[in-house]
Amino acid sequence: MVNDKESRKIVDIIQDFARKSSLFVLAYGTGCGAIEIPPTMTSRYDAERFGIRGAATPRQADVLLITGYLATKSLKRVIRAYEQMQNPKYIIGFGSCTINGGMYWDSYNTINRLDMYMPVDVYINGCMPRPEAVIAGFAKLQKLIQAGKADGWERYQNNLEFYRKNQKKIIHNWVMPDYNW
Amino acid sequence: MDIGRFLLTSITTTALAFVVGMFYAGFRRKITARVQNRVGPPVYQNFIDVVKLWSKKSNITHGVMQHLAPLWQIATSITTLMFIPILVDSTFFVNLTFKGDLIFLLYLMVVGSLGMALGAGEGGNPNSAIGVTRGLTQMIGFEIPWVMALVALMIQHQTTTIVGLMDVQQASGTWLMFSSPFAFLAALLAMPGMFRYSPFDIVGAPAELASGPISEFGGKYLGTLMTNGSIFAFVKLVLYVDIFMGGATNLVLLVVKTFVLYMFPVLWGLVSPRFRTEQSVRFFWGWPLFFGLLGILQAAFL
Amino acid sequence: MEQELLDLLVEHFQDRIAGSVKSDKRVEIFTSTSAIEDVLMYAKNVLGYIHLVHFSCVDWIEENEFELMYAIFSPKSKITIMSKVRVDRENPVAPNIDYIWRHANTFEREIREMFGIEFTGLIAEKEMILEDWIEMPPMRRDFDTAEYAKKTFFDRPGREDAQDVRETIIKRTGEELPEFSKKYSR
Repeated sequence: MVNDKESRKIVDIIQDFARKSSLFVLAYGTGCGAIEIPPTMTSRYDAERFGIRGAATPRQADVLLITGYLATKSLKRVIRAYEQMQNPKYIIGFGSCTINGGMYWDSYNTINRLDMYMPVDVYINGCMPRPEAVIAGFAKLQKLIQAGKADGWERYQNNLEFYRKNQKKIIHNWVMPDYNW
Repeated sequence: MDIGRFLLTSITTTALAFVVGMFYAGFRRKITARVQNRVGPPVYQNFIDVVKLWSKKSNITHGVMQHLAPLWQIATSITTLMFIPILVDSTFFVNLTFKGDLIFLLYLMVVGSLGMALGAGEGGNPNSAIGVTRGLTQMIGFEIPWVMALVALMIQHQTTTIVGLMDVQQASGTWLMFSSPFAFLAALLAMPGMFRYSPFDIVGAPAELASGPISEFGGKYLGTLMTNGSIFAFVKLVLYVDIFMGGATNLVLLVVKTFVLYMFPVLWGLVSPRFRTEQSVRFFWGWPLFFGLLGILQAAFL
Repeated sequence: MEQELLDLLVEHFQDRIAGSVKSDKRVEIFTSTSAIEDVLMYAKNVLGYIHLVHFSCVDWIEENEFELMYAIFSPKSKITIMSKVRVDRENPVAPNIDYIWRHANTFEREIREMFGIEFTGLIAEKEMILEDWIEMPPMRRDFDTAEYAKKTFFDRPGREDAQDVRETIIKRTGEELPEFSKKYSR
């Protein structure tokens, strides 16, 4: 239903408002950036006032936070978690490691560009981004959702072969279930 | 009662339970946030959550039973709601009272959890199985003082209907929480276990069990479960108010009484760390059970 | 105290062992793959060096050898013995010591995976940290991680004007760039 802006119905606007105001974040700490999430969620910066709260499992979550560097080994788990999430789902790339590899750009076991493997909706720059930057990233994501432009999950479905090719390039022993929703 | 009026009133009753329960859950989040020195989400946040969960575009299910489990639960909650008098002598709200409905309710209130156990088992997630085991074990814990409290009241007043108990309070002019204090204490201490709030939230502990039984439920299933949670919270609160606090003659009084009662598990939960399963069972079989026994003795011999 | 310990070891193992006192509470001994098990057993059972602090590997690519380093510690004398063993780089085989210390098993698995050194009689899964690794063991110094990362992962353009840390430091301090690190410099 997230199509061009002119033909959006009132239902879409209400649904997008609800999606925007209630973001369940999958607490999967992939890298060092996970340490910035507790201050973001707790009393100092209190992300819950924007409707952002943690989800316990991928099934319940809307947003996957890739917090920092992503080893090839954890990429497999992240892909698995992402594919278990229900549409519409969003990815926030967190820290410079997800953008271009950051300080691990020449490491043999951390990927450099996250958006070649998974559809990223919002990048948060920094090493590490402070909680203010994290909340700013969430606000940007909310703006995109409200405008109906956060369509990473659609890009993933439409370009599945592209993403699969890149993923299989580093995950040689591919034993994942098919992605069918 | 003709069928059209019945449908209208039952839908109204359910909607009232849903709205009040949702706002209570929202207030709970807000109060939790204020206690933790946060601003907290708006009180209508849970409505937004439910709308969002229902507007998910894909909803995975692992089988028929998992599909039915949230429906089973919400059907149980609404059925329970139909048997509980919302207001004293109300002609509008549905009340399918019959002789022995208090005993019937004792059974009905656990049926939802059993359905949830079946549905969670089908997901195949080990966290669900562990959560179900813990939930059913904990249920053995809090059900016994709760049943003893009700049995005490039933013995004392020779009635097995909620309306009968409310009539007793109307006639004597005192609430049962004052005339049968031990039964009330037993039931009150069993209440946080019934709500599964902290310290008895080991069943769905998010960090330890990945939310336990509901870990495989996403999208509209989770939305249904959240709806069910709010309705069922309202049901339990109204039942407590009806039995122990003389019911309510109008909606404002009902909301005030239930909210005051609701603050007990909420505020207790805010300052309590989590019990393990055997600790919570030991708790319920300690003072609550003792108070339940005292309540029965009082009912039988005084 | 350290010298006494060294004398004791040399007296017991004669010419199978050589060593020196590095500093206070540090004794360094050099031995061979055939003697290392005896040395460790003797140190553990007779001298009381009951704790294997660390077990690691260094790649001496210029000498075509790997150096295995066993750090053992005695809580009584508070001395750490660094026993070092050289193995051939072409055919790296070392004795298995996980019957002396159980936790040496983990170190050995890691060294086997990261340097490709085989431990005779080591019973463990082949994969430990890396998954699906088909290249040469990555901690060997002739493994070019930058080249591998460039080949495997996707570079985002925009790093060309980044300054090289080594060159910047050299410009500031006037040090000379070591030979082996030249290939990493831009």
